[in-house]
Amino acid sequence: MSAVAAKPAAGGAMNPTAMAVGVVMTLILLGVCYAVSPGLGLMTLIGVIIGGVLIGFGTHFVPVGGAPAAMGQAPGIATGVAMLAAGAGLAGLFGGAWAAEQGMVIAVVTGGVGGGLMMAITCMMVNFIYVFGMGIPSASGKVANDPITGDSQAEYKSQGTEGHGLPFISFIGGVIGGALGGAGGTLIYIQLLTLYEEMLPGVMNVPATQAAQVMPIAVSAAGMFAVGLFLVNAVLTAYNITGTIEGPHDPKFSRWPRSVVASAVASALCGLVAVLIVVPF
Amino acid sequence: MSVKVEVIEGGIPHNTILAAGLVSTLVCLYLTYLNVILSTPTNSVTLFSFFGGLAVVAALIWGSHTIKVLCSYGIGTGVPSAGMIAFGSGVIAMLLATRFGMLAPVVALVLAAVIGFVLGYVSNNILNMKIPAMVQALTEMAIVGALTLMGFAALITGGFTFKGLTTGSISMMGLTLPSYQQSFLGGCLIAVAFLLGAIAIQHPFNACLGPGWKQDRMLMLTAECGFLSMIVAAIMSFALINTLSALIALIVAIIGWIYTYSQYMEMSKRDAASWLDSKPIPDVEGH
Repeated sequence: MSAVAAKPAAGGAMNPTAMAVGVVMTLILLGVCYAVSPGLGLMTLIGVIIGGVLIGFGTHFVPVGGAPAAMGQAPGIATGVAMLAAGAGLAGLFGGAWAAEQGMVIAVVTGGVGGGLMMAITCMMVNFIYVFGMGIPSASGKVANDPITGDSQAEYKSQGTEGHGLPFISFIGGVIGGALGGAGGTLIYIQLLTLYEEMLPGVMNVPATQAAQVMPIAVSAAGMFAVGLFLVNAVLTAYNITGTIEGPHDPKFSRWPRSVVASAVASALCGLVAVLIVVPF
Repeated sequence: MSVKVEVIEGGIPHNTILAAGLVSTLVCLYLTYLNVILSTPTNSVTLFSFFGGLAVVAALIWGSHTIKVLCSYGIGTGVPSAGMIAFGSGVIAMLLATRFGMLAPVVALVLAAVIGFVLGYVSNNILNMKIPAMVQALTEMAIVGALTLMGFAALITGGFTFKGLTTGSISMMGLTLPSYQQSFLGGCLIAVAFLLGAIAIQHPFNACLGPGWKQDRMLMLTAECGFLSMIVAAIMSFALINTLSALIALIVAIIGWIYTYSQYMEMSKRDAASWLDSKPIPDVEGH
């Protein structure tokens, strides 16, 4: 196919048939999980799917600028979607993992705060560098007025660019996205950790008196699965956004339903595999 | 976007690399199983662990060419994301597959193919990417991720079964006690293996892409990255397998790295318009 004949970028079009197939596939995977491990296994898988969807949805809030942002020609943080999502989510995950013993609610909230904090610091330092280092003001190219503060943007936007710096709405979007991603990552980790602590001693034939010794395996396996699931969801979201996004005010933000279905399917499949590892057979 | 931006053709066709990579990875992985066959209850053999490292290099060479096939289409997310999804989906398949004992590599292959296929369907249809190579590329990359991690596991622990990866032994005052923390999974060495592989798979195409792309140069860089990762993994293996086996793996890795590095430098000089050796530390006189 030549460049002329090709259709423009993936675009915002939804594919209803594929979306329906995705939802059905998620339900089938949940059914398979119910068949092999009703109760704890199913609860874990539901938690993993919710976590995955939170990651996929949250990433759409993060202002991603990519290479154009590094040259001050587009708003956002100057790196790719996958790297930012992984950064925010893993920062949250590490924060949440410390609080794992305090119960699920506290751990998930801690994870969200960790991810949001990481994005807040990143956004602030990015703006410091843009404003004081590169000498450019923050202006959005996608909207005339900032949806929160109402400040007009067009006067500050340089000609030939799509805007630059991190406007207020992008900053807020980044913090919300980081919080959702961190909370999602922590939820996946906590769910899998609970499952593994319960089931691994039986699978590995460890006597009940020495069950605590399996703890390193449970933590490590849950952590690896959480990282794996996180990267899969982050990259799928990156494929959905294709390139750059300014934040919740960007027209590309309306693509989020596709990402939610995609994350649900991917998390259900990977989560089922993660549950199967402790199913005795 | 479904525009193929790179027009460079030639070199070995992708399917040949696919077949060669798959076969040599599986053969190398099964050669590490000689450890289990030759072991007796009193004497555990780990001499063949280094074949795990060679499996890693073979799988990475195949995987980096798959990334080239996928990323020749403008996917708009950067090349590293392909390496991340390869290992993200691969680690999940690999960990479950280790429970199947001797069948582990084959189960990892099938399971990773299923996960990769579904992820490819999701990207192409639900996310509307519409890239012709997407489904096949994501399937291949999940397999590469799973088999690479299994190769690292075999290199570091001498085996690829769930028991071998989770149970180590610790010597204390002359006694040998079983320990779960002293293991590939319990000590979280798998996290290091994960990133060693993920960086080695995405770097070569990221470094070599552009109008001057040459297949042999990129694949040689992949082999170099693979052996470099193998050196690190071989050093980690001193903790879990006996010194002689770890030393063999380290020597194989260092020899492989020196050879591929010098070959890569030769190819870089061959493809460069001109060449000036600027010396890492210039000799400055009169200061």
